[in-house]
Amino acid sequence: MKTISVTINGEAYVETVPVRMLLVDFIREKCGLTGTHVSCTYEGVCGACTVQLNGEAIKSCMMLAAQADGHRVTTVEGLANGEELTPLQKAFKAHHGLQCGFCTPGILMNMTEFLQKNPRPTDDEIRRGLVGNLCRCTGYVHIVDAVRAAANSAT
Amino acid sequence: MYPAPIEDYIRPRTLAEAVSALARYAPGEAVFLAGGQSLMQAMKSRMVRPRCIVDLQTLTELKGIRISDGLAIGAMTRYVEIAESQAIGPAYAALQDAAQHVGDRQVRNRGTLGGSVCWNYLASCMPAVTLGLGGTMQLLAANGKTRAVSADDFLIAPLETARAEDELLTSITFPAAPANTGSAYKKWGLVTDALPVVGVCMQVTLNAAGACSAARIALSGLSAGAQRAPAGEALLVGSKVDESAMKRALEAIVGSVDAQSDKWADTAYRHQLIRTLGLDVANSAFARARGV
Ligand SMILES: Cc1cc2nc3c(=O)[nH]c(=O)nc-3n(C[C@H](O)[C@H](O)[C@H](O)COP(=O)(O)OP(=O)(O)OC[C@H]3O[C@@H](n4cnc5c(N)ncnc54)[C@H](O)[C@@H]3O)c2cc1C
Ligand code: FES
Ligand code: FES
Repeated sequence: MKTISVTINGEAYVETVPVRMLLVDFIREKCGLTGTHVSCTYEGVCGACTVQLNGEAIKSCMMLAAQADGHRVTTVEGLANGEELTPLQKAFKAHHGLQCGFCTPGILMNMTEFLQKNPRPTDDEIRRGLVGNLCRCTGYVHIVDAVRAAANSAT
Repeated sequence: MYPAPIEDYIRPRTLAEAVSALARYAPGEAVFLAGGQSLMQAMKSRMVRPRCIVDLQTLTELKGIRISDGLAIGAMTRYVEIAESQAIGPAYAALQDAAQHVGDRQVRNRGTLGGSVCWNYLASCMPAVTLGLGGTMQLLAANGKTRAVSADDFLIAPLETARAEDELLTSITFPAAPANTGSAYKKWGLVTDALPVVGVCMQVTLNAAGACSAARIALSGLSAGAQRAPAGEALLVGSKVDESAMKRALEAIVGSVDAQSDKWADTAYRHQLIRTLGLDVANSAFARARGV
């Protein structure tokens, strides 16, 4: 067991956890933040568990919780400011960027960082940015539309 | 897919602490953890069941790209940093071709150059790229001894390297390249940026007359692991670097390698991949050598 302290969405969580606990389970089960999803049984291929570690998109089933000790994590719950959604969240709503929504938290966490690094992406760059996130509903067209719209809406 | 119980987790502050932490356990019982993009998978499938994890994340000595009499890249340098670096010139641009297309953004934000070469997976990019670029592995053992091993000697077979159980890879170094040297890497996989079914890396140097004076070619995705292609190198060197010379070299490679048939591609398809990717890579490496 290890006692770790992880700041998630600005709040410090101090917990004693087994070394083998994955970060995604720490977030969901220890911290009760179930917006971060698991859709490939931790195989590292679906991207639904994507969160930001110190501002960078990573798959939280590919890390031990112990590795996040002392670091800052942002989950989908940390994006909106109260009821005020981010431009990317608004664009997903406006452009029907989700159907069942299972993949959406991971996509938002990945593409939020993507847009910070590349505020004026081409469609090709958006599609390349999405490679690590599987969506079985939308066919991606509306997701790409939403990301493009969010980029265009930013001033 | 979930790791077996792990007794301890250590985050060493110095290189000496890192190697001595590992040495406290029997060989194989403690493992270094870099980006975890291979090791976490291996632990979750329980192919690897460590008693102790030695996490390298705080060791800043292992991070970064340094240019001085050649190129040195710290073992813990991540793909994203290699992909976005402004410091890596045309002679070593193959590193960037590879890093920009490893997996996906999330993998590139975590995975490291050192982790990839130490894991030496059959379908991976960086082992073949370090081999094609003539890299040297800088290793540190628990007794404080350091040694340098060429990629040719380091990469033994898939999942097998010359790294001793207690050795830490600290950096990979590349010699200062002669003028008019260029390199490139390209792979083909089943989906965008997937693991390579075949990947080709070339580094070439041109002489004043515009002929090829040196060439290294390495392949990934074949069952023997990352490997040089000496038959192709020999035909490129001395050539005038036109398309027919490139094609002759690639045909010699196709004739000399052992390309397996598996569920991803049969032998004929792998041969075709070597020809097609190889021509693109040769054109791009020579263009970079010319400075265009
Ligand atoms: C979805 C996905 C897609 C991928 N796509 C590709 C791809 O297209 N191409 C490709 O090449 N790879 C791909 N990979 C694998 C990826 O490149 C891994 O990052 C890499 O193989 C391992 O690097 P790491 O830093 O994550 O190492 P880890 O997984 O942490 O470690 C790997 C091994 O190396 C050892 N090790 C690590 N660092 C050191 C060191 N400094 N000294 C000694 N031993 C060390 C560890 O003990 C372990 O045995 C993919 C992985 C995933 C999950
Ligand atoms: S749960 Fe699928 S990538 Fe993490
Ligand atoms: S909206 Fe259902 S998986 Fe993407």
